[in-house]
Amino acid sequence: MQPETPAVRELISTEKNYQSAEVWTKVTGKAIYGIDLRLPGMLYGKILRSSHPHARIKKIKTSAALKMPGVRTVLTGSDLSCSPYGIVINDEMPLEPEHVRYVGDEVAAVAAVDDKKAEEALKLIHVEYETLPAVFDTGEAQLPEAPQLHENFPGNVAWRREVVRGDPESAFRNADLVVEGKFHIPQFHPAYLEPVACVAVSEPDGGITLHTAVQSPDIVRDLLAQVLKLPLSRVRIVGPVMGGGFGGKVYGNLNLYLISALLSMQTGLPVKMQLTREEEFTAGRPMVAAEIKMRMALGNDGTFLGREMDLITDNGAYSAQAPWVSNTLAERNDSVYRIPAIKTKARLVYTNKVPTGQYRAYGNQVANFACESLIDMAAKKLKIDPLEMRLRNCVRPGETTVHGLQIKSCGLAECLAAATEEIGWTKRKKGHGYGLSAAIHASGSVVFDPNLRGASARISLELDGNISLFTGEQDYGQGTHAAFSQIAAIALDLEPSRISVYSKDSLVTPYSMGALGMRQATIGGKAVQLAAEKLREKIIRTSSEMIGEPVIMENGRIRSASGRQVDFTEIAHYYHGQTSGLTLTGEGSYVPPESSYDDTKYGNIAVTYSFAAHAAEVEIDPETGALTVHRIVAAHDSGRIINHLSASGQIYGGVAQGFGMSCLEGYLFNEGRVANPTLADYKIPTALDVPDITPLFIETDDPEGPYGAKGLGEIVQVPVPGALANAVADAAGGWVTEMPITAEKIFRILSNRGAAK
Amino acid sequence: MAQKMTISFTVNGDKETREVNVGQTLLKFIRNELHLTGTKEGCEIGECGACMVLLDGKPVNSCLVLAVELDGKELVTIEGLSKNGELDRVQKAFVEHSAFQCGFCTPGMIISAKALLDRNPNPTDEDINEALSGNLCRCGAYQEIREAVKASVKK
Repeated sequence: MQPETPAVRELISTEKNYQSAEVWTKVTGKAIYGIDLRLPGMLYGKILRSSHPHARIKKIKTSAALKMPGVRTVLTGSDLSCSPYGIVINDEMPLEPEHVRYVGDEVAAVAAVDDKKAEEALKLIHVEYETLPAVFDTGEAQLPEAPQLHENFPGNVAWRREVVRGDPESAFRNADLVVEGKFHIPQFHPAYLEPVACVAVSEPDGGITLHTAVQSPDIVRDLLAQVLKLPLSRVRIVGPVMGGGFGGKVYGNLNLYLISALLSMQTGLPVKMQLTREEEFTAGRPMVAAEIKMRMALGNDGTFLGREMDLITDNGAYSAQAPWVSNTLAERNDSVYRIPAIKTKARLVYTNKVPTGQYRAYGNQVANFACESLIDMAAKKLKIDPLEMRLRNCVRPGETTVHGLQIKSCGLAECLAAATEEIGWTKRKKGHGYGLSAAIHASGSVVFDPNLRGASARISLELDGNISLFTGEQDYGQGTHAAFSQIAAIALDLEPSRISVYSKDSLVTPYSMGALGMRQATIGGKAVQLAAEKLREKIIRTSSEMIGEPVIMENGRIRSASGRQVDFTEIAHYYHGQTSGLTLTGEGSYVPPESSYDDTKYGNIAVTYSFAAHAAEVEIDPETGALTVHRIVAAHDSGRIINHLSASGQIYGGVAQGFGMSCLEGYLFNEGRVANPTLADYKIPTALDVPDITPLFIETDDPEGPYGAKGLGEIVQVPVPGALANAVADAAGGWVTEMPITAEKIFRILSNRGAAK
Repeated sequence: MAQKMTISFTVNGDKETREVNVGQTLLKFIRNELHLTGTKEGCEIGECGACMVLLDGKPVNSCLVLAVELDGKELVTIEGLSKNGELDRVQKAFVEHSAFQCGFCTPGMIISAKALLDRNPNPTDEDINEALSGNLCRCGAYQEIREAVKASVKK
């Protein structure tokens, strides 16, 4: 339990919906995004991409492009001195020198005085290809006769993992019921509205300043230094406002960053690059596609005995974060319930398609589609209420899950109860379908980088009496910084508007992992709390020293027992004078408790875990299969809610995106080429599509998070696919096992049922 | 050489005369020549609504209009909605209802909302959804946006 002062109660209450001043720049058009950047003398870069899914580059002629007026430089893969790099597997080059592996692969780049000229120059580059046989299917890619995409990966398997926990064999042998299913999940694009954009500036000391809005600037900085062979201290990332990220901008677009840096180093001028919407779809990093075969063993009373999963994820041509996403996809759902026996086999397979990465919940949300569908299939066979079955098996506080996750605060059972109560689970409307789904998501991964398990923050009292907070945690509208101001405000007993948050320049902000793994509110917020508490101590100590008697601090004021009042400005100036210019600063570092994590990846992977249950209400047109999603109730345990306004916003947005992937979205391919690379053909939800969404907060008090808070930003999407699949099955009488759930697929179920009758 | 044409127009209340390339879109003209970057570029083919502006009071995707069509017309961008430093009621309501996260769709969304309220001062939920259906918000703030638009209705 955490100390609860009146200030804590006031600041963490439903009345407090603090917003930082930045919000005003977003309604006036004054917010400067990456695409808005413009520096004096700036050039524009464009990329020539492969038009073949698989080919050898025999020759590239760039002389005509170089001669074109306005063109400053042309780069090809053979000009580069860097080695293949990657986030997990080193399988990628900024520009491929010899071998292209998908339609969209980077072949050459141009820098010119304006974007039109850069684009025209691309047409003057002549590339001679020798086409190679291509493979688009993960099954075919593993056959001995399949073309091999990367030298070191026979059978095109980029990553594999097999894990057994407990005794799955006897679980299935002793089961009263075994249910099984095969689920198909396509690639999904985060489709943030602002395409990735950057301006690279080569600096006089040989370094690079990259202006770009990215979720994890310090990780990008490390990678740029490594690939460009620059000292880390000479790489600086400066962030403009970000036009949406959703996990898709954890690393932004690394090839784009590297190419713009190389073009800038070559020309000595700033180089701006931005992806077009089509490039986003064809050469961005959508989330891995998955084929899931799953079996589940149950007892007659609905007790879960075991689960087996055979997972194949489609990597596309290069790996990005796909191994990590595949891993989360393969096992995170196992910890929602007590499942004593698990057997998982996962393979990530190269194909000649767009490379993949991640989107919001790291694959947990699409695994939810399979896992939760299977639970309802079992419930139907055993004639047990799906709510009852989930309550019987769901994980509870104090338990250790099958993969070793240690559950501290957990309101999952309460979420299930609240979501079903609110949707009218027992008072159903005739003809409507109801579905339920539950989720867990790690909040604050400690295994992502063993050398940086926690976070740090720095907070200073400025001469004017205001507070500056420096953090590496990124805010692009989720409300992280408003919450940080509130957290610091609680520790310092003053109003949050006096605390400005700075996170946008890697030169001055503490090193951080940034916005991934639901770590910012939990780990980053805790570091802010600790830093602010340190500053508070220093302020009190310095005040006592200044006036020569003990003081207390309350409501932004400092007073002594004798009644002498001191304000923040006075102390700041006193300290400034005593130290010839220093400011009173608190540095906070949060190092999470040690956790065991073995070679089989058994162990406590995160500081804490957030939970959710969603209930959906749908209606199906029996004639056409057309689906209307009336309502989704989203009940969440994200610990204590620091800011209700932004927390609700996360739920509205995450559920809308979950609805989009469940019912509308998904990549289509034609011979490896993306067939729907526009927002007209890759349909994301509009105001007309999104159902009514009701957020509910089940506030537990987490022992680790700042003032009891846990993460929320990713788990909001996780239960949606399962809840919708089950609601549709309730209405249609059968499960759609292929995302997205479209009218056509529902119609097929209705027709089969009709035929069966 | 690109063909040029001289056009006269009003932008956010100011009269202007400029030479433009005939092939240039209004979006590029607004962002690159008038330096009004509040009008956003999200797709350049009329699918996202981030570049919405008011042209003679009507909402248009500025990426689908040529700059030359501005001749003799009145252009209002997001920067022109506040008067003497005082924000428009729609802008205020968007902040009060937290009707955005990343804010990238917000200028276009506010322009569409403004156009709706100008032609229909008392819109229903359906009217609002319909009027804003050309403006994509990937952060998914539609519920808050609807509340903000309703709150901006003049009492």
